[in-house]
Amino acid sequence: MSARKPPRLDLAILRLWHAVMAGGFLVAYLTGDEDTYAMHVFSGYAVLAAAAIRLVLGLLAPGGSPLRLPRPSMARTLEWMGNRRGRNPLYAWLGAAVLASVGLAAATGAVADVVVWLEDPHEALSEASLMAVFVHVGFILFVHGGKRLLARLATASAVVVALAAGQAQAADPRAAVLDHFATRARAADPAFAGFSAERGEALFRTKWAGGDERTPSCTACHTENPRRQGRNAKTGRPIEPVAVSANPKRFTDLDEVEKQFGRDCKSVLGRECTAREKGDYITFMKGQ
Amino acid sequence: MKRLVLTLLVAATPALADDDRVPPVTDPLVLKECGECHMAFQPAFLPAHSWDRIMDTLSDHFGDDASLPADKVAAIRQVLVAGAGRERKRDRGEFTLAITRTRWFQHEHRFPERVWKDPKVLTASNCPACHRDAERGWYEED
Repeated sequence: MSARKPPRLDLAILRLWHAVMAGGFLVAYLTGDEDTYAMHVFSGYAVLAAAAIRLVLGLLAPGGSPLRLPRPSMARTLEWMGNRRGRNPLYAWLGAAVLASVGLAAATGAVADVVVWLEDPHEALSEASLMAVFVHVGFILFVHGGKRLLARLATASAVVVALAAGQAQAADPRAAVLDHFATRARAADPAFAGFSAERGEALFRTKWAGGDERTPSCTACHTENPRRQGRNAKTGRPIEPVAVSANPKRFTDLDEVEKQFGRDCKSVLGRECTAREKGDYITFMKGQ
Repeated sequence: MKRLVLTLLVAATPALADDDRVPPVTDPLVLKECGECHMAFQPAFLPAHSWDRIMDTLSDHFGDDASLPADKVAAIRQVLVAGAGRERKRDRGEFTLAITRTRWFQHEHRFPERVWKDPKVLTASNCPACHRDAERGWYEED
């Protein structure tokens, strides 16, 4: 790469030319139907003129000027692929491809005014040149802002994923409750590898010995079938089913969940339940 | 028509006249938090100092831990004390926390043992087992 800074005027001309070319192409592309024929023809001629001017400028500009058209060469490309030094030859190839395809599309459009059968090739060339423009722009974006852009995209997608996860949690309060216990289970045991419905069922059916004799197991109140209505073994009060399928409100409010575990674990197990036991239990009931 | 009016009058009389009807609990917090494990008993069944004591000792509530956040305890206490019954002469001086231990309750519920052993009943505090409309404050049945 040349150490010399390109003249500001040259750069300004190059930018202006890009603006005319891109704007003209866009208008021509979008107005390619008969109702807006005049606009299509006008912008097409503008693009043709811009392509022609670019060719002349490129040929006349002194070496080192950004206006000089980079000339794609097979030999230069092979050399770059060997040592990866200097400018990426794709600049030259893609620039030439865009200029050629857009110029050809504009030229065939102009000629098609007289030679009507050229209209179909003109349309095909325009579509092809649009693809060339996309690749040209994509390549420049990648080379100049690629890493930063990719990093930003990664950050943006991470944010989107996090937001979506948050949304999902907000939409599924039971998942948030389970998440709460998972965090605590992991803190208590780094080897914690997730909740288990089987362990939850065992907890539900086990006859413990440490608690109130009227409630030796969860089933004392909730019955053997968690999908059925239960009955408080001490007061006779009916209890809504614990199974989520029979009672979708279950385990959606962390305060309620903690209150109920706090009472029932003492009464049934004679001790507090661990975060893992609570998560296992909910996981079991979720599938019931 | 006359009979209908008469029936309505008779039906309304107990509510106005005697002890078989007590004002039902309407506060949603009391209904939820108290009514989760047992019927939300009407505050008129205990004097204010008994409710105060109950709300002070929720962590050992007849053997169970019925702890609640302080703000809920305060709100429930307010409802219970506001609707509390008068202190009955014969219970005065004792801290009667169990409605079923009050003298008037025992006087009203002198049944043979087999009634209490009925699995449907389970415990004397299970009012709705026999009083179908207990939650609404109606206790006129046998």
